[in-house]
Amino acid sequence: MKNYLELIPVSAKIHRRQTRMTRWCIVISVFLISVIFGMADMFLQSQKNLAIMIDGAWHVAFRELDAEQMAFLSARPEVKTVTRYAAANYKLNMDYEVGGVQTVLCGFDETFFEIYPAAGLLEGSFPKGTEEALVSEGMRNRLGLGIGDEVEMTTPGGSLSFRISGFVEDTSMMLKTDAFGLFVNTDTYLSCFREATLREDFVCYVEFLPHCRIQKAIRDICGQLHIPEDKVSENARLMGTLMQSSDHYILMLYLIAFLLAVLVAVSGMMMILGSMNSNVAQRTEFFGMMRCLGATGKQVRRYVRMEAAFWCLKAIPPGLFASVLTVWGLCRMLKVITPTWFGEMPGFGVSMPGVFFGAVIGFLTVFFASRTPTRKAAEVSPLTAVSGNADTVFAAKRAANTGRMHVETALGLHHAAGSRKNLILLTSSFAFSIILFLGFGIGVDFMKHAIKTLRPYTPDVAMISHDNACSIPDSLYAELKGMEQKGNVGIRRVYGRSFAYDLPVHMQGESKTAMLVSYEAYQFGWAESSLTQGDMESAENGEGILLVEKQGFVSEPGSEIELETDRGIQRVRVSGVLRDAPFDGGEDVGTIICSEDLFRELTGETGYTILDIQLRDRSDETVEKLRSMAGDAYSFSDSRASNRETRAVYFSFALFVYGFLAVVALIAVFHIINSVGMSVSARMRQYGAMRAIGISIRQLQSMIAAETFAYLAGGMAEGLLVGLPLHYYLYRQAVTQRWGDAWSLPVAECLIIAAVMTAAAAAAMLGPVHRIRRMSVVETIGM
Amino acid sequence: MEIMEVQDLCKTYGKGEAKVEALKYVSFTLQKGEFAAVVGESGSGKSTLLNCIGALDEPDGGKILVDGQDLLAMGEEERTIFRRRNIGFIFQSFHLIPELNVEQNIIFPLLLDYKKPDLRQVDGILEVLGLQERRGHLPGQLSGGQQQRVAIGRALITRPKLILADEPTGNLDRKNSREVIELLTKASRQYQQTILMITHNPNLITSVDRVMQVADGVLSDLGGNANEKLS
Ligand SMILES: Nc1ncnc2c1ncn2[C@@H]1O[C@H](COP(=O)(O)OP(=O)(O)O)[C@@H](O)[C@H]1O
Ligand SMILES: [Mg+2]
Repeated sequence: MKNYLELIPVSAKIHRRQTRMTRWCIVISVFLISVIFGMADMFLQSQKNLAIMIDGAWHVAFRELDAEQMAFLSARPEVKTVTRYAAANYKLNMDYEVGGVQTVLCGFDETFFEIYPAAGLLEGSFPKGTEEALVSEGMRNRLGLGIGDEVEMTTPGGSLSFRISGFVEDTSMMLKTDAFGLFVNTDTYLSCFREATLREDFVCYVEFLPHCRIQKAIRDICGQLHIPEDKVSENARLMGTLMQSSDHYILMLYLIAFLLAVLVAVSGMMMILGSMNSNVAQRTEFFGMMRCLGATGKQVRRYVRMEAAFWCLKAIPPGLFASVLTVWGLCRMLKVITPTWFGEMPGFGVSMPGVFFGAVIGFLTVFFASRTPTRKAAEVSPLTAVSGNADTVFAAKRAANTGRMHVETALGLHHAAGSRKNLILLTSSFAFSIILFLGFGIGVDFMKHAIKTLRPYTPDVAMISHDNACSIPDSLYAELKGMEQKGNVGIRRVYGRSFAYDLPVHMQGESKTAMLVSYEAYQFGWAESSLTQGDMESAENGEGILLVEKQGFVSEPGSEIELETDRGIQRVRVSGVLRDAPFDGGEDVGTIICSEDLFRELTGETGYTILDIQLRDRSDETVEKLRSMAGDAYSFSDSRASNRETRAVYFSFALFVYGFLAVVALIAVFHIINSVGMSVSARMRQYGAMRAIGISIRQLQSMIAAETFAYLAGGMAEGLLVGLPLHYYLYRQAVTQRWGDAWSLPVAECLIIAAVMTAAAAAAMLGPVHRIRRMSVVETIGM
Repeated sequence: MEIMEVQDLCKTYGKGEAKVEALKYVSFTLQKGEFAAVVGESGSGKSTLLNCIGALDEPDGGKILVDGQDLLAMGEEERTIFRRRNIGFIFQSFHLIPELNVEQNIIFPLLLDYKKPDLRQVDGILEVLGLQERRGHLPGQLSGGQQQRVAIGRALITRPKLILADEPTGNLDRKNSREVIELLTKASRQYQQTILMITHNPNLITSVDRVMQVADGVLSDLGGNANEKLS
């Protein structure tokens, strides 16, 4: 040994157990911090991908620009792409038709495809000439078209003819509404449909270069081109994920995210501090010894610095590495499960923020924490430092109260509460688990409000009568039902509804309008969860009806309603009240639901307005088969693409939100196991001495249990005291302000985290108890 | 009356090259009320012997009878309780419980048995130890000599069959050392307390009944030393 600094690895070897624990602690803390930040980063990236797929890659859109302004815009250095876009008949109410099918009409520049990657050009090329057009995949398939063919479009102003230059993928909107699409270039659009299109419909989409300060760029552009504020709109979804939004609500969400990030960082620091503090005693002794042997204060400080560097080197890289692997795993999951949406996600990208925060927080905390024992060693005299009386981490200043309880319980509680510093440190580390969990729990509340999910009743495809009449014959329903029962053609469920619109009703002495809808067994089953009063069964039997509650339509089960149908005035009894229904007839129109038999009895109609189908096999062949069964008599709505979209959005959100919660719960578990383990470790010598005096293992277990319980109880109380107000505040900002839902006690979250903590506390005692069982008294007390 | 009997006690540490035979067929007996000292060079096996007798360590072979009971035949819990009630320990580095005050430390073995301490007995012991003024103090507030006196009180409180002391004066200065030995001698006389004490300070063995020497794991009896009982 040439230099005293070479003692570092030697000392690490001698205190192997302690060293291993501390190292694991740092590894895991760094891992958890880095995973959380890495996940947050990947979450933003996935949401950005999703935003680009759904809403496009544009950042800002300007309406009503003239040619000069356009030219100026394209010339700006920070602008990457500019494209003009206009659409007509996107609400399918303007009588533009090809082959008798409602057709959406769009005009755009060639750059449009860069901004809308979801609008894929299947084959052919962009329509350069005024007589050329792209048409949708659906139109190609159903009309049997090829490139070079002519299509004839009927418009309110006469018919127009285009030569097909290529085909574009169907959008989920076109699939769902069973519409065609026809796309021409901007000039053609302007010359053919000028009168049909409002000037406001013309939008200029702008995509900026990466790393551009978008809000500033928008301000500059608006200022220079004199564009009024109401002509500017942002791609809120994309801007939100780029952290560049100007929306107040989204800024609030950033603030919440920042708050949570700070909480995570603090909890990571606490974990590392806790683990390093626990071997302060041993290390104080060691530094005391070094001072005794003649090391100067400066030498000890240098030693400490080197030692911290040694910890960092040994523990931080493995933690970071593990977190990178975990984040990769999550990304793979996204990519494999929903390849259409997240194919763009980096496969083996390293999240810079994750690695950065993990490394920096780990490094700083280790460095900071490693100084404490030096200070302590300097404070205590070298003699006490080496005499073995610096045993306890925080020496008690009062004697334990052994009068009322068993001595082991009293001592256990005293170990926890004897030193206020120790108690505060440990209970607050327990409390942090609750605070973090409640904080991140807001993500779930936010998700429930902001992210649409598929309902049990969401169909994959549907057949819908053209004129809202009950014109789909009973026989088609029977045929499909037969296929469902035989398990044929990949059908999972078929369920139909008949609608009777604008029925005059008389209830509670007032005349109103309502629509009558028929349900069958599946739909009655799904409605069960929104039943607030009365019973479902008598409605299902046809004895009564269900009323959907809304303003002006409030009633009690048992009251009567008069309905006027083609068959005259009929009286029905309300047998149940529903909170809501999947459809709504509009303002001042009530919704009345009844069984199919009752519907027939009341209206005389036997057909259906809608047949919804859920598929077991969602392939194109299945859908084509069903489409051909429907023929042209009904429109065929294909919701698979939009369902996929909904599912992808929800999945990507849920993966991360629950991922965060899982990591937070892990932090709690680790925190608790670590704190208890460290606390026991620090007193191992004392436990050894007690064993020599004659304490039994069982009594030692109770002592540790009492100590753990004190931390748990104190931590929970403290955690709820701080966590609930925090939850209330975050909920108000993230949910109440936007959706108006009032805050309620997050009982489920509290119970879950309490259960996790209790289980962790129980598990935390296993290790130490095992160690005590195996402990050699002689070696432990060093005789 | 024979209070303890050790027969053919063997203990080996390590394997192969590093093998150390710490105890080699050690046998001896102690009579009730006897104050015996074990002397020997450092590393000769004294502590090992004491730890085996106190059931803190498991010997590889041999037999230990305390008050006629076979220590090694007991189960873990039973042995712990036996130790708590019948064997008192005094360590070189005191090993008091820092969260308990002087009085609590002394009655700790009774508290572990969920027994109510006899106040008169506690007062008596505190008086003998000269610690009445300090009964409410924590170990951290006491000098080394005072701490060791508390440890002696703790060993005496249960009136154990046997007190084992491993270099009880090792961490103390000369004056405190003499006081500690005086206390032990007094206990041995006053309460007919059997004591086995390790020491390597030859000045301290003048007051004991009997001296044994351990050398390289082998025990030999040096017989009575200034046996006051006979004079
Ligand atoms: N846990 C152990 N592992 C290996 N060797 C040990 C252990 N404890 C003691 N020894 C060895 O046994 C011998 C006797 O030790 P000990 O009884 O402590 O001696 P002392 O007479 O100084 O109290 C010594 O050589 C020591 O090195
Ligand atoms: Mg020894």
